[in-house]
Amino acid sequence: MRQETLRRMISFVLLVILLIVFGTTSSSFFTVNNIMTLLREASVVGMLAVGVTMCIITGGNDLSCGALLGLVSMVVAHLYHYTALPLMAILLIALAVALLGGMLNGICVAVLQIPDFVATLSTKMIFTGLILVFAIRNSAGLITTETINNPSISALGGAFPGGLYYSVAAFFLLAILAQFYLKRTKSGTYLYAMGSNRKSAEYSGISFVKVKMTAFMISAFCAYIGALFLLGRNRAAETATGMGFEFQAISATVIGGCAFAGGRGDMIGTVIGVLFMQVLKNGIMKYNFSTQTQAVVSGVVIVVMLVFDAFYNDYMQKKTTRAAAIAREKKAVAE
Amino acid sequence: MHNPILHKLYQFRRVVVLLIICLVFAVMLPGIFLTWGNFRSVLYSVSLTGIMICGATFAVLLGGIDRTVSGNAAVSGACCCALILHFNSSDGGAVAAMAAGLGCGLLSGLFHGLVLSKFDIPAFLLTLATNQVLYGIVQYITGNQLINVMNCRLFTAIGSGRLLGIPIPVYILAACFVFSYILMNHTVYGRWLYSVGGNREASKLSGIPVKKVICTAYMISGFMGALSGIVLSSMNQQASSLQANGYENDVLAAIVVGGVSLRGGSGTLQGAMFGALLIGIISNGLRLLGVDAIYHDLVKGIIIIAAIAFDMYSSYKMSGLKRDGFFKRMKKRRQAAAA
Amino acid sequence: MSDLLFEMKNIEKIFSHVHALDHVNFDIRKGEVHSLLGENGAGKSTLIKILTGVYPKDGGEILLEGNPIEINTREDATKQGIACVFQELSLVPTLSITQNVLLGKEKNTLGVIHYGKEKKEIARLIKRYDFPLEADAIVETLSVAQKQMVEILKALSTDAKLIIMDEPTASLSKKESEMLFQIIGQLKERGVSIVYISHRLEEVFNLADRITILRDGKNAGVVEKKDIIPGEVVRMMIGKRLSEATASRELAMSEEETVLEVKGLTRLGYYEDVNFVVKKGEVLVLTGLVGAGRTEVIRSIFGADPYDKGEILFEGKSMKAGIKGTIRAGFGLIPEDRRTQGFAPLLSVTRNVAVTNYDRLAKSGFVKKASEDKLGEETVKLVDLRPANPKVQVGNLSGGNQQKAVLGKWLTRDLKVILIDEPTVGIDIGAKDEIYEFIEELAKKGVAVLLISSDIAEVLRVAHRIIVMRDGHVVKEFDDGSVTQEDILLASSGFGMTGKEGQNDA
Repeated sequence: MRQETLRRMISFVLLVILLIVFGTTSSSFFTVNNIMTLLREASVVGMLAVGVTMCIITGGNDLSCGALLGLVSMVVAHLYHYTALPLMAILLIALAVALLGGMLNGICVAVLQIPDFVATLSTKMIFTGLILVFAIRNSAGLITTETINNPSISALGGAFPGGLYYSVAAFFLLAILAQFYLKRTKSGTYLYAMGSNRKSAEYSGISFVKVKMTAFMISAFCAYIGALFLLGRNRAAETATGMGFEFQAISATVIGGCAFAGGRGDMIGTVIGVLFMQVLKNGIMKYNFSTQTQAVVSGVVIVVMLVFDAFYNDYMQKKTTRAAAIAREKKAVAE
Repeated sequence: MHNPILHKLYQFRRVVVLLIICLVFAVMLPGIFLTWGNFRSVLYSVSLTGIMICGATFAVLLGGIDRTVSGNAAVSGACCCALILHFNSSDGGAVAAMAAGLGCGLLSGLFHGLVLSKFDIPAFLLTLATNQVLYGIVQYITGNQLINVMNCRLFTAIGSGRLLGIPIPVYILAACFVFSYILMNHTVYGRWLYSVGGNREASKLSGIPVKKVICTAYMISGFMGALSGIVLSSMNQQASSLQANGYENDVLAAIVVGGVSLRGGSGTLQGAMFGALLIGIISNGLRLLGVDAIYHDLVKGIIIIAAIAFDMYSSYKMSGLKRDGFFKRMKKRRQAAAA
Repeated sequence: MSDLLFEMKNIEKIFSHVHALDHVNFDIRKGEVHSLLGENGAGKSTLIKILTGVYPKDGGEILLEGNPIEINTREDATKQGIACVFQELSLVPTLSITQNVLLGKEKNTLGVIHYGKEKKEIARLIKRYDFPLEADAIVETLSVAQKQMVEILKALSTDAKLIIMDEPTASLSKKESEMLFQIIGQLKERGVSIVYISHRLEEVFNLADRITILRDGKNAGVVEKKDIIPGEVVRMMIGKRLSEATASRELAMSEEETVLEVKGLTRLGYYEDVNFVVKKGEVLVLTGLVGAGRTEVIRSIFGADPYDKGEILFEGKSMKAGIKGTIRAGFGLIPEDRRTQGFAPLLSVTRNVAVTNYDRLAKSGFVKKASEDKLGEETVKLVDLRPANPKVQVGNLSGGNQQKAVLGKWLTRDLKVILIDEPTVGIDIGAKDEIYEFIEELAKKGVAVLLISSDIAEVLRVAHRIIVMRDGHVVKEFDDGSVTQEDILLASSGFGMTGKEGQNDA
C-alpha cells in the first residue's frame, strides 16, 4: 500500500476515534454551534497548513508563515489607521508585502542555499520584527490595538445562512484548489518531483529555483488569505497575531502524512490533520484540560508519526532490493 | 587569492567584523560603550545563551541540531524552583533540587540521542516537537503560575552573586566553555564527535561507537540547557512557564554566525561563542543607542542571513574563482548539492 | 549499408593528454541488439557518454541514417532518438508511472495536465509491450526490475530509436533478468535498436546480434552473432596484454598457518555457502563481477553486517560479532567507496588516520596530542602522501592520495588481517602501483590479505590465490598452478570450466 494511503488512514481513524470519544461523552460536542465554531477556529491555521504542505512537499519547510500572516494583518491595520487609502489599495499593498516575504524565503533557500529551517527561521524573526515596526502606537508611543471599522473587512468574518463561516468555506476552497494544483497541474507535479528525487527532476529540465520559489510564494499567498479572514474575525491586528500558528500548521501536515524528506503528502491528509488538531483542542477544552495538554499531545503525536515514517521508509527500502527479490523467489521455489 | 594581507584578513574575518562593529558603537556612544561596566553587562547577558551553546554545538557538529535547549532550561528551572520550595528553601535542598533539574536535562538528552541514533529523522523537526512537549510539562509543573524563590541564599547567589566584581553566571559560562572545549579538542570523544559528524559510515567502519557518540552529544546538550535554566531561574528568582522561550533561536543564530557548519563535522566552539558575543554586543549597542528592544529579533534575523551570505561570498572571493559571477557559482553549488 | 541507424566514425576523446578513445568506430543497425564489450577502462562508458551528449567529442563524426548530426547535450541526444536506461535509476519514487514517464513533457493546457489522456496513453504503451505494470502505480512500490521497465517506457515515450542499457542485470535476480531479455526481444521486433553493455558474457553471447569489442580506447574487433566464439572474444578483450608480464600468474597454496577461515557463510539474498581460508602472509583475491556478493562477504567478516548461517574462525577461534571486536583482534578494512565510507573529507589527514588508533594515542580518554601528531607525520611518510602535509584536509587530496590516507588508518596498527575492497577504482596508474606495493609489503610482514578486485590485471598482479564469485556463490578457486586473464574472465562472467558452475541458481 502507498505510504500516504496508509498514513492517511491512520490519521483518519484517529480523527474518527476522537470524534466518537468526544461525541459520546460530551452532549455539547455534536451541536451545530460547536461544530461551526470548531471549523472556524481551524480555518485560519488550515490555510497556513495548505501553504506549508507545498513547501514540505518540495523537501523544505516554512517556519515563517505564521509571522508573515501576522505581518500582513499588521500592515493592513497600519495602513487603515494611518492613511486614507481605499481598502482595495491597502489589500493590494498587503498582497505585495506577502509575496515579497515569500520571495525573500525563496531567495534565501534557493539562491543563497541556506537550509530551509534556518532560512525561514531567520525570515520569521525579520517578519516578527517588522510587525512591531508597523504596530499602531498611541500618543505616548506605546503599542495599542485599534479596531478596524470597515464593513467589507467585518463581512469577511461573517457566515452563510446555515451558520457556515465564510472563512471555513474559503479554507475548503483553498484546499480543493491546492489539491487540484498538486495533482493535476505541471507545476504541482514538479513540486513532488523536486522533493522526491531532485537529481532526476533537474535532469528532466525542472528548475530547483523555480520550484522552491513557487512553493514559498504559494505559502505566502495562503498566509495572506489567512490574514484577511483573521482580520475579518478579530477586526484588529495584534503584535502576537499569528505567533505559533506555523507550529500548528506543521503539526497538522505531519499528522496528515507529509514526509519531511519531501515528495509525499497532499491536501486530503492536511485537511484531516487540521481537523484532528482542532478536534483535539476543542475536546480538551471541553474537559477543562489545560492548553498544555494539547501541546503535549500534539507534540507526542508528531514524534510518533516521525518515528513511523522513518520505520516505514526503512522497511520499504529493504523490501525493494535485489536481495529481497531473490529471497522471495527462493521461498516461492521452496513452496 | 595571492594578496597576503587580504588572506590574513580573510582568516580573521570574524574578528575584523567584530572590531569594526565595536568601533562603530564606540564612536557613536563615547564613554558609554567601552566601559568595564558595559562589558560586564554584555558578558552577563551572553552567559545564558553561552552555556546553552556549550551544549548545542555538540549536536550541530554531528550534523544535527538541538532546539530543545530552551525547553530543557524551562523544565529544569521549574523543577528546581518547585523542589527548592518543597525543601523549604534550605541550602541542602537547593543542591538536591538543582541536581534534579540537571537530571531532567540529561534524561531529555538521552531520549533525543536514542531516537536520533536509531531512526533517520530530521533532528530539527523532532526537537521542535519535543520542545513543545517540554514546555507543556513546564506548565504542569508550574500550574501556569510563577514560582518565586526568594529566600534561598545559595540559589540566589548563583544568578545574582559576584566574585571579584564579575557575576557568577560568567564563571559558570567559563567553566562550561572550558569543559566543552577540552572535551571537543583534547579527548577521544571529541575526535569521535568530529569524525561522526564528518562521515558517519566511515566512522562506523573505523570502530567508533556511533550511537554512543550521538547519545552523549545530546545528553551534554540537555545538561547544558538544564544548567542555563537553573542560572536563569536564579537570576530572576523565579520560574515561569515560558522561561527561556526563544533562546533556541539565539543559540542557533550564534552557532551559524560563528561558522559552525550545519552539515556537521566542521566548526569550533570558540567560533560559536564568538557568534554569541557578536550578537550580544550588537544587542547591547542597539539598546544603548536607544533602539527599541522590539527590533532585536529583526536585527538577529538579518544577521543570520547576512552571516551566511557573507561567508559564502568571502569564501568565493578567496577561492580565486574570479571568472564565475556570484550567481553562477551559486548555481554550481546547487548542482553539486544535487549530485 | 542502408539499414544503419547510427554511425560513430573515428571518434576521439582526450582526457588530460591521454587518448581515452582513439579513432573508434561504432555503428548500430535498425532493430539489432549490439553489445559493447571491453574491460574496465577500455572506453565503453566514454563512448556512450559521447553518444548521449554528456561529453563533447574531440574528433570524428556521428551520423544518423547517413546524415551527420551534432550531439552536444542530453536534450540533443533525446531529440535524435537516443535514450539511456541508467544503472542508478533516475525515477521519482513518489510519483506514478504515468507521471514519471512524462515528467518534464506533460501534455497540458495552461499548465493543467490532461490527466486522463496521459494515463490512457501510458496504459496503451504498457499494453503494447506487455509489461507487468499499472499506469497509475507508484514507482516506489515497484521492484527493481519493474523500475527498470519504467525507465524503458520513459525511453519509448520519446520515440527512441536506440536504447542504451548499461549493466541492466547487475541488480536483477535471475528470473527478473529473463523477463528483461524477453522485453529486449520485443523491442527488437518493433525495430528499436539496443546497445547492451554487460560484463556477463553469457548474457551477451545469447542476446547480441553483433558485438563490438574495445580495448584501451581502440577498436579491437566486431563480431557477428554467427561468428561468436567465446574464447576468441575474450582474447580480443584482453588482447595484447597476453604478452605482458601480468598476463598470467603462478599461484601456490601457502604452507603457513591459517589466520582466517570462513565456513559455510550465508546471508540470504546476498551470498550463500561461502568457504575459504586465508593464511598468514598470503594475498587471497576475491574476484567476480559487481553484485556477485563479494563486498557483502567481507562486510560480514568485519562485523559491519550480519550473516544468517555459517562460521568465521580467526586463528581457530570463533569470532565475536561487532566491528570493535574485530578491530581489536587485528582486523582492518579498506572499504569499497572511499568517499562515502572511507574518510571524513573536512578533517585533516592526521585526524582521519588517528581515528582507528586512539587505543594507543590516548590516556584515560585524553588524546596525547604529541603522539597523535607524530602518528600523522609517520603515516604521511609511510604511505608517501603528496603533499606531505598531515594537516591538509583529506577532501582536498587527489583520489590516489585519499586512498593512501585510508590505508594509513590501519598501517601503523598491529594488523593480522586486512580486508581490502576495490582499492584502485578511480586512481591513476602511478598511485595504483604504490598501493600494490603496500599490499605486497603487508603480506611480507605476515598480514593475511583478503582483497576484492574486478580488475583482472590487478588480480594477477597481487594474488597468491584467487577465488571467483558469481551471483552470491563461490564458482571457482585457483589454488595453484598458472592462471591467465582468460581463465578468470571466463569464470567470473559465467563460462567457468568446472562442474561447480552449475550450482548457482540465485
